[in-house]
Amino acid sequence: MKILIVEDEQALQQSISIYLEKDGNLCEVASDFKEAVYKVHLYDYDLVILDVNLITGSGLDVLKVLKKQKKECGIIIISANNSLDDKLNGLDLGADDYITKPFHLAELNSRIKAVLRRGKYGGDDMLIFNEIKVDTKSRTAYINSKSLQLTRKEYDLLVFFMTNKGRVLSKEIIAEHLWGDNSDLADNFDFIYVHINNLRKKLTAEGAKYIKTAYGSGYKFIED
Amino acid sequence: MVVSTIVLYFYVKNLLREEVEEELFSTLSRVEIALTNNKTQFSLAPLVDVSEVPEIKAQILKDTIIYDPSQKEMEEFRELTTFKKINQKNYKISVRNLVIESEDILVAIILSYLIIIVSVFIILFYFSKVRNKKLWLPFFKNLESMKSFSLISDKPISLVDSEILEFSELNTEIEILTNKVRGDYKNLKQFTEDVSHELQNPLAIIQAKIENIINGDNLNDNQFGHLTSIQKDIQRLTQMNKRLTLLTKIENNQFAKVEQVIITDLVQETITNFLEITSSKIEYHKKDVIYVQMDRYLAEILCNNLISNAIKHSPNKGNIVVEVMGNNFSVSNEGNLALENPEKLYSRFYRESETNKSTGLGLAIVKRICDLYNFSITYHFKEDKHIFTVNFNGHI
Repeated sequence: MKILIVEDEQALQQSISIYLEKDGNLCEVASDFKEAVYKVHLYDYDLVILDVNLITGSGLDVLKVLKKQKKECGIIIISANNSLDDKLNGLDLGADDYITKPFHLAELNSRIKAVLRRGKYGGDDMLIFNEIKVDTKSRTAYINSKSLQLTRKEYDLLVFFMTNKGRVLSKEIIAEHLWGDNSDLADNFDFIYVHINNLRKKLTAEGAKYIKTAYGSGYKFIED
Repeated sequence: MVVSTIVLYFYVKNLLREEVEEELFSTLSRVEIALTNNKTQFSLAPLVDVSEVPEIKAQILKDTIIYDPSQKEMEEFRELTTFKKINQKNYKISVRNLVIESEDILVAIILSYLIIIVSVFIILFYFSKVRNKKLWLPFFKNLESMKSFSLISDKPISLVDSEILEFSELNTEIEILTNKVRGDYKNLKQFTEDVSHELQNPLAIIQAKIENIINGDNLNDNQFGHLTSIQKDIQRLTQMNKRLTLLTKIENNQFAKVEQVIITDLVQETITNFLEITSSKIEYHKKDVIYVQMDRYLAEILCNNLISNAIKHSPNKGNIVVEVMGNNFSVSNEGNLALENPEKLYSRFYRESETNKSTGLGLAIVKRICDLYNFSITYHFKEDKHIFTVNFNGHI
């Protein structure tokens, strides 16, 4: 996938592209408004990650340019502003998703995959990893065509693992993905352990042993 | 006043007496002339009384009290009795005249005085009242606008001009003062907002870099532990940042959208969400349905913060009781001791105990939301329970 990262913080720009390139994506960067407009005019991208607060202009204006060109690309807005109005503004203008700084790269990655899966960008709502198949439209998972009975959280966890396969996910990242702002309440993350364990048991029962422990307290979804 | 009353009283009394006596003498001389001419003896009791007497005595002038049949009461008279030999006959001539009683004089004086004083007083009173009112009107208007002056409303104070130098000086000073306070307050708010905003970029960078390190090679378990602990602290910082921004936004009145929120249902949703992440037991007593007109997002925050506060502070994962009844929404959790400083409960960054890692902003936000909509929030400790109650006064 070809992804454009519009972000004026160079360090963040680099970190995002390093993370995404590991999945075989091709990342390009734009550091200011002009460069961003220039690049979206010249090239076609599958997805654009757009920071709203660019020093030389607003990311929302880049979004307007993109929509004017009627380009078929997914758009995820990044903002330092946690205001609902900004969010609605961005989504009204045609962005596919919205994420607030600071965010976990795993979370961004998960959102990118979700946007790209959507039908209009050529995806087919299906998430496949070896024998595991997840239909994200009907929110059901199958192993070797056999449907898997998962709770809502287990399903979310499975999708999160599959979209970040091969990555080390700490409990903190997982907790925040599952419970957002309330994740600090999860008592010592015991609850995550319970959910992960249940999911792991269900997968293992069908022979899919992909959830591994990493560094003692983290997790990794990987093939042996 | 009293002295002048007394002086006036005696003066008037004296004056009247002299006048009466003068009249008595003139009456007497007329009677004598009449007697000389007519030679007949006549009486006109009680004013004139003529009688023949054997001998002549000295003239007497005295006060006497005689019954006056026409008035049917005893009256005070001034009496002049003279013995005169007219036409070889000795006559005793008594002429009398009614004397105005001294009480009557006194009463008249005092009465007139009173009337004058009262009317002068009333006139002066109204005069000064009207004048004062006009004079102080700008002052009171300005006082009123100073009372209603609020930093939150972001409007400059509007003062009425006055012709009086002192007042207009006062106005100028007040304007300078309030403008300075407003400016400072605005700067302070802007500062909080800017700081929270500026913190987000470095936080995002740190977070992203840690994630890339975690996914790099050559890490040992110990290093991973440290990195995830940093992640946890970043999350705390992020939370704190979000909450500070939220507080500023509430103070800036940026939540003007008001809609009908069913608190009863919202509480149910919140509890369902929390049950997924905590092992504390949450009981929900749904007694009444509460509808409130407020911003939905703030309503969510209100319920969320109160319940999460209870979860955080309940020892040994004790029971939490949430109740919606009448106008009240209350959350209680078990505790051993009442709070030491309940008055500080709603201040920023106040924590009763250092044991839990809360941001110290949750209740401050709750309080601000309550203030914004004029709800009241109370805390009390009863039967080993910390109870927070929000009363949605008539916002239903």
